[in-house]
Amino acid sequence: MPGSCCVLQTDLFRTATFRLTLAVVAAMIGGMLLQFTVIFVELSQYETTRATALLERDAEILTRESPTRLEYMVRERATTELRVALNGAALFDSGFHFVAGDIKNWPDGLIIDGHVQRLWVHPPEDAPYEMRFLAERVAGDRVLVLARSFHLLSELHFVTRRAIMISIVPVVAFALLTGIILSHRALARVKTMHEAIDRIMEGDLHERLPAGRERDDLERLAGSVNRMLDRLEYLLDEIRDVGNDIAHDLRTPLSRVRARLERASSSPRDATYLTTVIEKATQDLDQCFLVITAILRIGEIENGRRRAGFGQVDMAELMDDVFDLYEPIAEAKGITLRVVHPVGLLSVTGDRDLLVEVLANLIDNAVKFTDADGEVTVSATRIADGVESGHVRLSVADNGIGIAENERDAVLGRFYRSDKSRHVPGSGLGLSLVSAILRLHGARLAIASAGHDPERPGALFEITFPLGDAGTVPGTNWRDNVLSAQGQTSGAMS
Amino acid sequence: MTDDETQTGQNLESPPGRRVLFVEDDETLAGEVMEELMGRGFLPFHEETGPAGLQAALTDTFDVMILDRMLPLMDGLAVVERMRTHNVRTPVLVLSALSAVDDRVSGLKAGGDDYLTKPFAMDELVARIEALLRRPNDTRATVLRAGSLEMDLIDRIVRRGEREIELLPREFRLLEYLMRRPDQVLTRAMLLEDVWHYRFVPQTNLVDVHIGKLRRKVDAPGETPLIQSIRGAGFMLRVTD
Repeated sequence: MPGSCCVLQTDLFRTATFRLTLAVVAAMIGGMLLQFTVIFVELSQYETTRATALLERDAEILTRESPTRLEYMVRERATTELRVALNGAALFDSGFHFVAGDIKNWPDGLIIDGHVQRLWVHPPEDAPYEMRFLAERVAGDRVLVLARSFHLLSELHFVTRRAIMISIVPVVAFALLTGIILSHRALARVKTMHEAIDRIMEGDLHERLPAGRERDDLERLAGSVNRMLDRLEYLLDEIRDVGNDIAHDLRTPLSRVRARLERASSSPRDATYLTTVIEKATQDLDQCFLVITAILRIGEIENGRRRAGFGQVDMAELMDDVFDLYEPIAEAKGITLRVVHPVGLLSVTGDRDLLVEVLANLIDNAVKFTDADGEVTVSATRIADGVESGHVRLSVADNGIGIAENERDAVLGRFYRSDKSRHVPGSGLGLSLVSAILRLHGARLAIASAGHDPERPGALFEITFPLGDAGTVPGTNWRDNVLSAQGQTSGAMS
Repeated sequence: MTDDETQTGQNLESPPGRRVLFVEDDETLAGEVMEELMGRGFLPFHEETGPAGLQAALTDTFDVMILDRMLPLMDGLAVVERMRTHNVRTPVLVLSALSAVDDRVSGLKAGGDDYLTKPFAMDELVARIEALLRRPNDTRATVLRAGSLEMDLIDRIVRRGEREIELLPREFRLLEYLMRRPDQVLTRAMLLEDVWHYRFVPQTNLVDVHIGKLRRKVDAPGETPLIQSIRGAGFMLRVTD
């Protein structure tokens, strides 16, 4: 990519990490300046105090000397110990005339009071400079003048300033470098995430963001995004599976229609033959419409709009109604259909029409998969004990071929048809309709074996309804109910 | 199907000239339905949009109306509502591509008399139009008669001629429904909806089993079969020859 380095460079300075670094550097510079200012002030004060103390001590010592010795000491200052503390010493007479020492002229403005004063000195051939002076009367009617330069102080200032420069520059440079390296790393991590997201957007849904062990905020964010992607991928897979199943289920009857019509048009025979072909084609198309209608119904139920029509549904009445509808067909197959009535009134909150559909589908299934002389029992009870005590349970049990344990979750999914049921007609959508309706009701469906006979294990469908008040308010979080209810049983059913 | 199948409902004589207003925007479907209705002796009229349909319904007289739910310019339900506010009592069959049960309810609430989901069999459509045209016999009667059948609604006794027929309550309900609609094609969906109040597509031939059981009791061997299967459409209680 042309110009990618420059893009990267500007990107680098625009990272959050780099901006943070800049802020830290600014704070560091400020802190160091403050620190050096304090040092500077402290040093100045120390030197001032020290200079004053030195001048006063020397003055005190010198004033105690005899006039002759004092004059000697002033004259020989450069060779005595006085040279360490003093930069100048002189003796003047009472008329301010020079007597001895290295200060040749009386400094302008000097007051004879024994205190340190700062005065400007104006040498004839040199630039003026400032010095500390002290003047005191001594024996012999003379005036002793002592002086100390600011040389040491300015040297201290110079050293301090140099220390600032020497320390700030590398510290700032080091901080900036660290910032750039960190930003570069952050940028690289973000870049890999961008690339991963790009791949995901291009359709590679298996791609995940690098989340490591989720030690920092960025990795935790990546972890969250990954979990979201997992969920989305699962849902998309499900949708794709459903799409494939629909296509497959429609393809079979449609290809039959096509084959029939093609054969009929290529070999036209008598009208009776054509009528038969058309009738069979219509039947196949009806099968297609059956599938489409069922899918639309499931979508409609899963939308959850129908909770508006919820009311109290009497279980005994519900069972009797469906019994009425299915008893003749069970009888025709030689199957005994039984209803076990609950003790007392037992009702749930729900949509009667939809619950009829649930029970009808379950009984329809049971009758379909039970052989002659079999028995299908429908019952409703209130659970007496356990964690679900008080919940209403509706069960349909048969002693037919049963459902293998590993197929129990799958039969509730759309279009699933057990290997044993391939020969039985149907859209394969009955049980998915059932589970969609039950989800709407916040009820839970469990599948088990009805008996212990391995030859005829039978299937037991148990519907557990939520406690009465759970369903009375439309629009309460029934999805949560459903999810948790599913979690208890299958986990993978949605 | 059983031994006593007759031909399709086309053979049933419909009084000529019954005017049907059909409001539907899909031309192909409309064309097919119009042909079919004409073939069965109806006098169909076609409108494509809601306002045009409403205009026709308000200015002309029809025996029955078929109204699509989704129409250009004006919703089918709005058309029914406006018709009813103008005191037009023509029976209306609402057609819809929507399958929602709620839509059915709102369709009937708006003033529709029956509701049919697309796709539909032509026989189903015609049977429902016929049902709308022939309102059931007097509902206040306590004794129903159809041919040689007599049903006492109070004592719950059914006789065919001199022979008393013993029926289960559900069989009684089914026969009552048939006797109130003699010589009329009744589809499986109509029976499920009206007799059992079930609005879903059962996966087994439920209605056929119920009718079969009832038929064995009503039509004894040697007697003229009264309950007849109409091929491709449904059933009929035939009392006139």
